[in-house]
Amino acid sequence: MSAIVNKPGQMLWFFLLGGCLIAAAAAAGYSFMVGHEQAFNVTRGVPWGILIATYVFLAISCSGLCLISSLGHVFGFEEFTLICRRAILLAILCLMGAFGAIGLDLERPFNMIYTLLSPNFSSAIWWMGTVYGVYLGVLVIEFYALMTDNHKLSMITGSLGFLFAIAAPSVLGSVFGLTLARPFWHGAFLPVYILITALVSGTALISMVMYFQHALRGLEMDEKDRRVIRLLGRILRLMLFVLIFSVFWNIIVGLYGAQPGHYEPVKALVSGSLSANFWLGEIVIGLVVPLFLLMRKNRTPFSTMMASLMALIGMFFMRYDMTVAGQIYPMRQGAKGLTDGLFTYSPSVSEILIVIGCIAFSALVYTLVEKFLSLDLESEHHSQATPDNS
Amino acid sequence: MSRLIDKKLSRRRFLGTSTCALATATVGSQARVLKALAESGEVTTSKVAGSKDVFTACGMCVNKCGVIARVRDGRIHKLDPNPDYIKSRGMLCARGNAGVKVVYDPDRLKYPLIRAGKRGEGKWRRASWDEALDLVAKKMNAIAEKYTRAGVMFASTEGTFQEHFFLQMAECFGSPNTVRHPTLCLSSNIQGFSATYGTFPTPDVLNSDYIIMAGANRSEALITPDSIDQLKGDGGRRKLVYIDPRFTKTAAKADEWLPIKPGTDMAFVLAMIHVIVAEGLYAKDFVETLTVGFDKLVPHIKPYTPEWAEKECEIPARDIRRIAREFAKAAPKAVFYPGRRSSFADDDVQLRRAMAILNAVIGNWDTEGGLVPNSKIKLQKHDYLAPWYDDVPERIDKGSAVFLSEKDGSWTAMRDRILAGKPYPVKGMMIYKQNVVMSVPNRAKTLKMMDQMDFICTIDITMSDTAWYSDVVLPEATYLERQDPLESLSGILPVVAFRQPCIEAMFESKPNLWIMQNLAKRLGSEIAETFDFTMDDLIHHQVSKNPKILKDLKSNGVHYMKVLPTYGLTRGKRLRTKTGKIEIYSANYAKKGLDPLPVYTKHAEVPAGKFRLLVGRNAYFTHWTTANNAYLHELMPENTLWLNTTSAKKLGLIDGQKVKVKSPVGEGTLKLEVTDKIRPDCVYMAHGFGVLSKGQSLIYGVGACDAALIEEKLEPISGNVAMHQTFVEVSPA
Amino acid sequence: MKKKRYAIVLDTRRCIDCKACTVACKAENDVPLGDDKFRNWVSEEPLRGRYPNLGQSFAPSQCNQCENPPCNSVCPTSATGITAGGIVTVNPDKCIGCKYCMLACPYDARYFNEETGVIDKCTFCIQRIAVGRIPACVETCPTKVRTFGDLNDPNSEVSLLLAKNRYRVLKPELGTKPFLFYLI
Ligand SMILES: Nc1nc2c(c(=O)[nH]1)N[C@H]1C(S)=C(S)[C@@H](COP(=O)(O)OP(=O)(O)OC[C@H]3O[C@@H](n4cnc5c(=O)[nH]c(N)nc54)[C@H](O)[C@@H]3O)O[C@H]1N2
Ligand SMILES: Nc1nc2c(c(=O)[nH]1)N[C@H]1C(S)=C(S)[C@@H](COP(=O)(O)OP(=O)(O)OC[C@H]3O[C@@H](n4cnc5c(=O)[nH]c(N)nc54)[C@H](O)[C@@H]3O)O[C@H]1N2
Ligand code: SF4
Ligand code: SF4
Ligand code: SF4
Ligand code: SF4
Ligand code: SF4
Ligand SMILES: [Mo]
Repeated sequence: MSAIVNKPGQMLWFFLLGGCLIAAAAAAGYSFMVGHEQAFNVTRGVPWGILIATYVFLAISCSGLCLISSLGHVFGFEEFTLICRRAILLAILCLMGAFGAIGLDLERPFNMIYTLLSPNFSSAIWWMGTVYGVYLGVLVIEFYALMTDNHKLSMITGSLGFLFAIAAPSVLGSVFGLTLARPFWHGAFLPVYILITALVSGTALISMVMYFQHALRGLEMDEKDRRVIRLLGRILRLMLFVLIFSVFWNIIVGLYGAQPGHYEPVKALVSGSLSANFWLGEIVIGLVVPLFLLMRKNRTPFSTMMASLMALIGMFFMRYDMTVAGQIYPMRQGAKGLTDGLFTYSPSVSEILIVIGCIAFSALVYTLVEKFLSLDLESEHHSQATPDNS
Repeated sequence: MSRLIDKKLSRRRFLGTSTCALATATVGSQARVLKALAESGEVTTSKVAGSKDVFTACGMCVNKCGVIARVRDGRIHKLDPNPDYIKSRGMLCARGNAGVKVVYDPDRLKYPLIRAGKRGEGKWRRASWDEALDLVAKKMNAIAEKYTRAGVMFASTEGTFQEHFFLQMAECFGSPNTVRHPTLCLSSNIQGFSATYGTFPTPDVLNSDYIIMAGANRSEALITPDSIDQLKGDGGRRKLVYIDPRFTKTAAKADEWLPIKPGTDMAFVLAMIHVIVAEGLYAKDFVETLTVGFDKLVPHIKPYTPEWAEKECEIPARDIRRIAREFAKAAPKAVFYPGRRSSFADDDVQLRRAMAILNAVIGNWDTEGGLVPNSKIKLQKHDYLAPWYDDVPERIDKGSAVFLSEKDGSWTAMRDRILAGKPYPVKGMMIYKQNVVMSVPNRAKTLKMMDQMDFICTIDITMSDTAWYSDVVLPEATYLERQDPLESLSGILPVVAFRQPCIEAMFESKPNLWIMQNLAKRLGSEIAETFDFTMDDLIHHQVSKNPKILKDLKSNGVHYMKVLPTYGLTRGKRLRTKTGKIEIYSANYAKKGLDPLPVYTKHAEVPAGKFRLLVGRNAYFTHWTTANNAYLHELMPENTLWLNTTSAKKLGLIDGQKVKVKSPVGEGTLKLEVTDKIRPDCVYMAHGFGVLSKGQSLIYGVGACDAALIEEKLEPISGNVAMHQTFVEVSPA
Repeated sequence: MKKKRYAIVLDTRRCIDCKACTVACKAENDVPLGDDKFRNWVSEEPLRGRYPNLGQSFAPSQCNQCENPPCNSVCPTSATGITAGGIVTVNPDKCIGCKYCMLACPYDARYFNEETGVIDKCTFCIQRIAVGRIPACVETCPTKVRTFGDLNDPNSEVSLLLAKNRYRVLKPELGTKPFLFYLI
């Protein structure tokens, strides 16, 4: 029943992803050979770079996907059962990509064994690692349950997954939020904010996938599909609204009172070294244009997809900016290598290649699964789309 | 051509004293496994096996601080200060700590090298010691044959404790033309103070209540123990007045900083004397009994009022007056610090005379907190009888200065005469531990002089610019690999120091004694015989009158006689001046046609649109020698041109941009540092960059060289060079 | 015997910014070359005033061996730990190099050592303490800015200094309880 039509673009797609993976593998190999110090642009001042940002991006997307899918098989919103399999598969792959990114950022990944042998329960990273580790297991079982239509199991794992989907991003947020030394991160805001953004990326990702799995396979969207995409668009719109408020208040709070360590990073976002990322990446591409697209009355699945794609790109910038901005304010006077009193960071080629690799990995495995397994529900019946149908 | 007189007389006079080899003295070795504190088992136990601790002395600068080298498995791991070494108060500075990187410097000289390409081209051929020394001896003899023995000049600097072997070589080879660092450094200072006190005294910084330092940057140009003692002790009443056109780190620590107009210090000093004399604040009894010429000073000093001085030196008259009063009040525990490098302006001897006189009128001599004559611990000298040669002319720079030191000569005067070929040609250069291309101002001229040499041999530890322009380069073992003779260091608390090898000399490097002995063998038996002893022989001879010295050195790394200063030992005794007293008025100077009392003369003003180039040290480097040291390089990877903020604004130059600095004798390009830390009419750059030698891999191609820019002026009394009378243009590069 | 609690008291008024302490630390502890590789540092504080009325101070610093070290709480593998004498150390066998501790430390006291592949920081020269010697940076300082000792011993030099003088610690508001004390 897998009616995937061989398209010339398909070869290209696999080649492209394969190429990305090879390049990333080469970059990772190089970085292990010459040392991260050489290969990466992270410094004493900014020890966390784009790999950590990517980890956050992917890990949070994973949670978002779970939350959305749980609407279907946990909370029983019929419309959403349609997307469950794909959402959970994507969640698994995002999480694996995320682990890849952070794993390649670790200098001594093999010492990870000591998270078990000598755990430190006061470490937010320990909790994050543990929660996401277990989470991955739950997701795999959940996916199995969904694929085998084992409703009871999928209900249980789905509920568990939902709990993890709430817990994991907030634990992740606490990794940043608990660093007392970094006022830009410190506080209760981050865990909540991260949860909101999880929904944004989850929704955006699944609506994109929904669109493409039809468009690329040349399938006609039926009313159910359109309806789900519509709903997803609506959720995305709502979340983007909430997010705009968060971002707005975060900026205002940062600028107001000019608290050292908080003010400067916000200033860097608004008018400093990160301002291009912030205004163009986060605000225009990530929030304003998608919102505009989603507010239009006559929006099509295509425009929803476009809005989702842009929101996702915006989310990536948001992760990156949040990660970097929190570190640029020096922890002591007289630190070297400052521009206008702040550290700067821009990723190296190796770092970028590894990031691309991690994303390409998720995409590649996903498309492979799409190609060789059926993710459609028994109830779905597709008809061939006419060529001009978009 | 040369006749030898009987040299057997004194040869090897000391040999009888020693038969036993000098056993290496080390601190109680810690060849045991250390159980680290690890209560919680977090710290891995560190194993220190095969380790030994060796007493030695730092060789990174003039101070020779006491060192304990921690050696692990044949590798020097760490250099620690010797806490017993009273002269340095148990410290090691950044350079002293960086000494390990001298030994393990990939750029160090490893083998004798013979030039293979053109001079300065950098093409070298590795040679055996035999081949290299054969060549050196052949060339030296050829020059002696063709010209005279004076045709080979010998340039060297103190510091290794082995320089006297080099000077011995010069003497025994028969050349009068030795030239040493003092005329690039402090010879005018020594002359000015000696003319007044008969000696060059040491300021008792530790116990002084009021110190004025003019152009003596003790927080960066480290001199032990002054650099340490200058800081206020617990609740000390101490006041430090610091006078320098630059806001240095000493300025940052001083109670007052006065940005004087360079070259006008004498106006300030004379005005201080004026106030002290006019207001009757001087030490009347002292002046009467211990000095001569005060009566002549009184009328002489009359016109030098603070108001007059203010116009010259740009320090407000009211400050001069106040400081003079405070200074006199604190006397005799007050000292106008003599300074060290005094190659400032071409009347420097008279400036130092003025400083000496100022100290004298407040009764500051041989007293606690004042100027104290140095003591020195006596060591037996190695006597030898140098061969005698006929027809060897006198020093080529003879008569170039009024008081020229026979051993030190005058660097720039000598260079000028060599370039002129007058009165006779000098065609060979032997260089030991001196980097003449960098340290003698006006680099172009030095290179020109080297160009006309038939032969140049440099003994160094790294490929200095001078080595780069040589024909034969010989690698000396570094100070951490050598047994050096004992060295007596004078001071208020004199010490004897020594060096012993911490590790075996690496590669084919050899100590200078070995080099000189093997060169001497090739120059003939007369010369060779003066070198016929071992290092052991020499050391035992040095302490033959007082073996305790060596015992102390072995058990403590240092020998001293006293730990507390003694004052007043010269009271009632004749000083080493003509009159036996402190000569405020110098009849000797009058006889030589010099001003018997310091007379102020105006120096050239900075022309519009130009700046005065200043020279000065920083705490991370010793001259040029350490800029390529890996540890120190990261403290200052390049030099910058300091330019005052307002001056930069006028020129439209911004911080960090590259600028071209041009003087009448050279130019250089470097980064601009816009700062308030310098007078608006001056610029400054650190010494040590802009090297020519590609053998300095960390700094080649970086920064600019001050020596290339400085116009040398001669201070005519001492033969010292004056280095702060060069005006430069600054423009965007 | 009472447990020891090591501390360093600094009198920065004596600091001439000679950087002997930074070079000494590098040599003693095999800290790799590189100007962002160091266990201790001396900051040149900004120039105060305008020409010719200027002032400047220099501030040496290093790990505070905090009583309540955030670097310790964040370490997932317990690679960071507090050893005898209150010294905070990193166990190279357990460190995964996540660099979380670098972010958590409010004093920039930690760096990544590319030669060992793990995080490194000041240990008060624990290897020297073990054989009865004082830390390298303390010993080498020309002007003796730093004084090292046991605060649990009321007669130690550090205890006496703190008893006699006013002092401050860095960023006290963060509750890290530093054991570097700056005399004022
Ligand atoms: N522009 C400028 N010129 C100056 C000064 C300045 O500040 N600026 N300062 C002046 C002053 S005060 C002085 S004292 C002079 C000093 O000038 P120099 O007497 O030339 O001394 P350094 O520049 O220290 O060079 C010493 C040389 O000895 C080498 N060396 C070091 N250790 C050893 C060793 O163990 N054995 C041997 N064989 N060689 C060794 C070094 O590599 C270096 O090449 O410079 C003067 N010239
Ligand atoms: N770290 C370090 N320490 C050293 C050395 C080293 O190379 N490095 N070298 C050693 C040697 S050989 C020497 S001779 C001594 C030198 O010790 P100092 O003589 O103290 O050192 P400098 O830094 O050469 O010069 C001192 C200051 O004079 C200022 N100056 C320039 N012109 C004038 C002027 O007209 N009037 C006044 N009042 N000041 C002026 C300069 O700005 C500079 O800061 O240091 C010794 N100690
Ligand atoms: S002052 Fe520094 S470089 Fe000079 S001898 Fe002492 S430790 Fe060595
Ligand atoms: S060694 Fe002492 S004086 Fe020098 S920089 Fe360090 S703390 Fe300051
Ligand atoms: S100063 Fe930083 S590294 Fe040191 S104990 Fe405190 S938090 Fe940890
Ligand atoms: S980098 Fe090492 S020491 Fe630091 S938190 Fe991570 S595991 Fe612990
Ligand atoms: S105590 Fe030791 S490890 Fe710590 S800064 Fe000083 S020298 Fe370095
Ligand atoms: Mo000098």
